[in-house]
Amino acid sequence: MKDKLIIVVKSILFALIFALIYYGLSYLLIPGNNTKKYGIIKTGEFEILQEEENTIDAIFIGDSVVYSAISPMEIWNEFGYTIFDCVGMSQLTPISYEMLYESIESQHPKVAFFEADVLFRDEKNIPIDRYFDQTFKKFFPLSTYHNNWKEKTLKFLNTGDDFTELNVYKGYKYIHKIKGVTEQKELKETKKAMRIPKANLDAFQKMVDLSEEKNVKLVLITNPNYYNFTYERYNAISKLAKKYGLEYIDLNKDNPLKIDWTKETKDRGVHLNYWGAKKVSKFIGEYLKKTGLLEDHRNDEKYQSWNEAYRIYKNNLK
Amino acid sequence: MSYLSVEYLLLFLAVVIVYNFTPKKLKPIVLLLASYAFFFYISGKLVFYLLLSSISIYGAGLIMKKIDEKRDKKLEKTSKEERKTVKEKYKRRKKIVLVFTILFNVAFLFFFKYLNFFKKISNKIFNIFNINHRFSILKYAAPIGISFYTLQALSYVIDVYNEKIEADKNIFKVFLYLSFFPTIMEGPITRYGQVSDSIYNGSKVTYHNFCFGFQRILWGFFKKFLIADRLNAVVKVIFKGYMHMSGASVALGAIAYTIMLYMEFSGTMDVVIGSAEVFDIKIPENFRQPFFAKNITDFWSRWHISLGTWLKDYIFYPVSLSKPVKKLTTFLRKHINNRVSSLVMGAIALFAVWSLNGLWHGAGYNFLAFGYYHFVLILLGNIFEPTIVKVCEKLKINRKSTIYKGFQIVKTSLLVFLGEIFFRAINLTTALRMIKRIFLHFDITSIGSEIPNLGLDVKDFIVIVVALIVVLVVSVLKEHNKNIREDVSKKHIVLRWAIYYALIFGILIFGAYGPGYEPVDPIYADF
Repeated sequence: MKDKLIIVVKSILFALIFALIYYGLSYLLIPGNNTKKYGIIKTGEFEILQEEENTIDAIFIGDSVVYSAISPMEIWNEFGYTIFDCVGMSQLTPISYEMLYESIESQHPKVAFFEADVLFRDEKNIPIDRYFDQTFKKFFPLSTYHNNWKEKTLKFLNTGDDFTELNVYKGYKYIHKIKGVTEQKELKETKKAMRIPKANLDAFQKMVDLSEEKNVKLVLITNPNYYNFTYERYNAISKLAKKYGLEYIDLNKDNPLKIDWTKETKDRGVHLNYWGAKKVSKFIGEYLKKTGLLEDHRNDEKYQSWNEAYRIYKNNLK
Repeated sequence: MSYLSVEYLLLFLAVVIVYNFTPKKLKPIVLLLASYAFFFYISGKLVFYLLLSSISIYGAGLIMKKIDEKRDKKLEKTSKEERKTVKEKYKRRKKIVLVFTILFNVAFLFFFKYLNFFKKISNKIFNIFNINHRFSILKYAAPIGISFYTLQALSYVIDVYNEKIEADKNIFKVFLYLSFFPTIMEGPITRYGQVSDSIYNGSKVTYHNFCFGFQRILWGFFKKFLIADRLNAVVKVIFKGYMHMSGASVALGAIAYTIMLYMEFSGTMDVVIGSAEVFDIKIPENFRQPFFAKNITDFWSRWHISLGTWLKDYIFYPVSLSKPVKKLTTFLRKHINNRVSSLVMGAIALFAVWSLNGLWHGAGYNFLAFGYYHFVLILLGNIFEPTIVKVCEKLKINRKSTIYKGFQIVKTSLLVFLGEIFFRAINLTTALRMIKRIFLHFDITSIGSEIPNLGLDVKDFIVIVVALIVVLVVSVLKEHNKNIREDVSKKHIVLRWAIYYALIFGILIFGAYGPGYEPVDPIYADF
């Protein structure tokens, strides 16, 4: 009995010391300024919170299709708008709502694009590791920031100011790989509409309400996706947009951006590569310009970190 | 899923918890269910093939056992003169069961791993002879670990046939032996006699086993995250862009790949052995400091030990002792001499071993070349060994001196590095081109300008070097039979815990994961 008690005490002590060191090291390794207001937990989960408050003009909410298609740095370079991709792999609509909520709270963007294909993702079909990944990032920030030991300006090496980690890609994932579509897909026109799970419709309703309340222009978009596009999906989203009086930008039907699916995809039509993303980003820049809602910040002192980010981004392109 | 992942760790912990709260009698059933769930999680419906293999060896074992029992009864009533005939009669019956079971299991392996390879060869032959027929090449997924569990299945039936082990009546025990989740994906290829009792023992998870098991698992993570995943970037860049690099950088790529492979595979073995240790199951070691080997034969007795011993027991000896080889060696002994006779016998058996070793690693010419490369090296070693001994005696070189041993170690390592190019290159032509580049375009001065373009920064290289020093120190201690974990466990609690925390946080902070790094795929899980 005594032995068992010793083992239990030892185990608890080991775990406590572990937690102490873990969060101590997390404190040392997380970028100070990025987390000034929100602390270490939230920035691990919502990347946009690393940006200075009220500096983002428009946001994109969605899954891997978004972070492969929208490159905020391309839009910055050509139009001077600040865009951020609030994304997550296989994102679920309730998470999309959380993303929108957190983004509006800290950034008050004027426009919010929502990748409507997310609506068809049934919660039951999501592998457990997606939830795990999101939760893990939330409570174990060291896994997100561990590589900052390479930074010269680490807190314990530099007792001066906290360093700010410059987010270069703003949520975009740069991919220069080419794996083109090899087999043509046959699409049948239909008037049928695909079913959207109720849980997703409820979360979407909350997104619409929040946007209206905070005066954010919510736009439905379906980014180019050769693999996923069907008329059933298109009809369902069109219907939804009509119901809520929202604008719907479809970039699939009749291939309006002339995406070359033999060259501009990294995985046979599911995700775009860099060249595909360049086309979509340019289109979005032009769209935003037409709305007249945003200003060009390229020569604004407050936004010089975006010019620096673009310089690094350009250097990183292969 | 890799054994070296957080996902595996969490699943493993869940199994440990359920196992711990299950009564002793049902503990093996928990392991069996967990093993099948694990297999299903990765390979889905292909679990059916594992089931078929398990049923086949279980049934074959029992049939052979029955034949043995009948034979023994018959022998009791048989005169001494007739005993041999009776034995042979029953042996023939057993052989039919054995051959059928082997063919049944090998057929699945052939279908999933080699059918396309042989179809491609046939298509090439048809092309040469202008035959208007082509086999279609179909793509399909193979059951995870088929190369490993098939060899285990064969060892079970062969051992039962040879009466090395008794066929087990306990169906769950045989099924668990073949499907045990820590070993199913990447081995080691265990033998029934070695592990079945401890696997089915249903031992308690003790504090000692839990701690020791997790220490071993952590050590595997250390090797993978600090070294293997970091070197992955270098390996990818060099093996892809070797045409634009100097021979020195290509050689560096071969060294980096060999180290990466060792760290990934031996790291996985640490996780496998550590996981089993938590359940008090002793899984045999698969590595024994391979880079301290003094020749290629020695290397293969230290690297992927379970495959080497499997091939030795089930290929090398049966081929050496087969009738045609025996006839040939007797002929050579009579007409030439003993040495030539034994060299030829060894060469024939080794050729069979290395053909299969190459093919086991993959269906491709480069893998066959990998096997034959080692075959030639071992054969040359056997042929020239007496000459080397004589030369050393004449030159008064002490073969037991540290310098000579060091020379042997370096020589062996260099040969291994070169051989791994066949293993990693996308095909045989690329491998040969890379080797040609090493020998014809070796320019050590250009390596300085090429290193910065290998995808890692200076700090990454520092981490690799420091981690390799740690691994080297541990290897030296193990080579000198030091039991490091036992030694650490006897230290004062403060020092002991400091070591554990250093290991854990070393992995968490300096591990090559997250943006900018691409983890190594579990290399041996594909075999």
